[in-house]
Amino acid sequence: MNAIEVHRLSKAYGPITAVSKFSLSVESGEIVALAGPDGAGKTSLFRSICNLIDFEEGEVRILGHDVRSEFDIIKPMLGYMPETFSLYPDLSVEENLKFFAGIFGVRRTDFEIRKKYLYEFSGLGAFARRRAQHLSGGMKQKLALCCNLIHQPKVLILDEPTKGVDPLSRRQFWEILKRLRDEGTAILAATPYMDELNHARRTAFMAGGRKLAEGTLQDLIASYTGSIFVLPALPKEEKIGLLAASKELKVQRVGASLRIHAPKAMSLDEIAKSLSDAGIESAGLRQVSPNLEDIFVELIAREGLESNA
Amino acid sequence: MRSILALVRKEFIQVFRDPVMLRLIFVSPIIQVFLLGYAVNFDVKLIPMALYDFDRSQLSRDLARSFSVGDYFVIESPRIPLQRIEDGFKQDRYRVALVIPEGFSERVRTGRPAEVGFWVDGTNANSAGIAIGYAGTIVQRFNERHLPTRIPIEMRQKILYNPEGRSVYFMVPGIVATLLTTITVMLTSMAIVREREVGTLEQIMVTPISKTALILGKTIPFAILGFLEISAALALGTAWFRIPFIGSKVLLYGLALIYLLTALGVGMLISTLCRTQQQAMFFGWFFTLFTILTSGFVTPIENMPSIVQHITLANPLRYFIKIVRGIMMKGAGVGDLYPEILAMVAFGIIIFTSASLTFSKRL
Repeated sequence: MNAIEVHRLSKAYGPITAVSKFSLSVESGEIVALAGPDGAGKTSLFRSICNLIDFEEGEVRILGHDVRSEFDIIKPMLGYMPETFSLYPDLSVEENLKFFAGIFGVRRTDFEIRKKYLYEFSGLGAFARRRAQHLSGGMKQKLALCCNLIHQPKVLILDEPTKGVDPLSRRQFWEILKRLRDEGTAILAATPYMDELNHARRTAFMAGGRKLAEGTLQDLIASYTGSIFVLPALPKEEKIGLLAASKELKVQRVGASLRIHAPKAMSLDEIAKSLSDAGIESAGLRQVSPNLEDIFVELIAREGLESNA
Repeated sequence: MRSILALVRKEFIQVFRDPVMLRLIFVSPIIQVFLLGYAVNFDVKLIPMALYDFDRSQLSRDLARSFSVGDYFVIESPRIPLQRIEDGFKQDRYRVALVIPEGFSERVRTGRPAEVGFWVDGTNANSAGIAIGYAGTIVQRFNERHLPTRIPIEMRQKILYNPEGRSVYFMVPGIVATLLTTITVMLTSMAIVREREVGTLEQIMVTPISKTALILGKTIPFAILGFLEISAALALGTAWFRIPFIGSKVLLYGLALIYLLTALGVGMLISTLCRTQQQAMFFGWFFTLFTILTSGFVTPIENMPSIVQHITLANPLRYFIKIVRGIMMKGAGVGDLYPEILAMVAFGIIIFTSASLTFSKRL
């Protein structure tokens, strides 16, 4: 049994489709990441999974229970972090924790034990008396997570929990999530940061309400049909223009080097020839494996072609 | 149960941590009682009166003197000729004028009907009416004394409950009722909308808290604050303005609790209609202003046009104000107030139930 099971979910706001026939599953002890641009439908999907909004089609099961008919059974086992910071800014760290413990129905003695554990785990103990509004962005997100861990949920749904947080705090946040995963929690997290997808076992790419691809990082890289080359030099502007115009190549300046995207598999020699045609020295040219951004850009481009057809 | 407590505790922490909110909640009743207790005064006394006596007889002086008995009128001899009597009104030197024509005493002595002129500044219709009433009574008494041949019907007044006719006795019970309305409607609607605005409502909705617990947790704190408010207003009214509290305090608080169902329900209804705190503020302000104006708080309902009088029947505050005044000033009991109590119970059940049903635990 999967901890989270989304089956062909569709959600529309009037004529606008936010989520279209989306399927996804997350097992216990697994982190699944959901990546996609703003407006991809991630928040609508998450809100549908958490029974906060109605959806037209499909089915969502959490720990085997239908979210629409059995949500009361699910609630005590679920933690959900909305996209916007949603704690009480005028309450202290400890008061926020205590409040959530109260509404989750956590016993006082259990709360004390749990609180100690979460403080140790998140490093929030030193700020127990500080008001939430005076915490740094990273600390705020950790507190929001802790408020959702006070009742020891089996399933965690996190909507862009690290958005706008500094890189170091982001890494710490993911370390916490990995620890929870190792304890058997099923985690579904949306993220706008491609580098964070490395932390997940699987990633689902979402755009325009649809799932474009899903799989492990290796699967996704293997699915990439184009090839990518890097030239460790920056040729003159007009030569780059010539190169971009001559072939179907996409050219991108990255620092002091040039990144060349070819739409399909091309050999190093073919690219070197294109370069010399444009009058560019090809010394040091090498092929690199695509990164997640490349994959994502390609997926969206492919999707765009399909929808035009 | 634990979840309700958590909500109530959180709400109180938030209120007591917000200095603006605190001032609003605890200073406003004091200001209202003082301001309305002193400033809103319908008592009409010491009205400046111009006297034009063209008769200059013993009788005309007698009539003029009878106007100056008591605190009602203060007689002044105007230096303005009668032709320009209006100038004095415009300059606000006097509000009424008594004109006794030449030959007044002669006509009275010979048994012919005599007339005197009485001018009134009608700018403030309320005090003008009262001045005319006073003058009528004075002239009638004068008639009785000087024309004993007619058999006068004498009316002996007995004013109950507020024999001195002090406005503050009438105002403070009204303030108690309006305060409870304003505070609970405003605070409840804003507190719920704030949670929606900040996003905490979304967070709470996925917790195991039941809808009932959520509603109770969001209304109980403001019911308690409402009670604190009216207690402060009552204490100030009885201690400072020496307003008698004749009836049962327990009954007053019990009925206030019933009335709270309506006020809290309206607050919740507003919160389901509004997305931002500003919208909630505006709705709340409109609702309270409208209900206060048609409640009989200041203007007696009997003075309103009949259509408006019918509208006031749908105003729950109307009944509550009547109840508070009845209990405080007349010592009325359940038996005296049962129509109002029934109306309030009906309003409370209908409004609170529909608010609870429309209050959605979803986005």
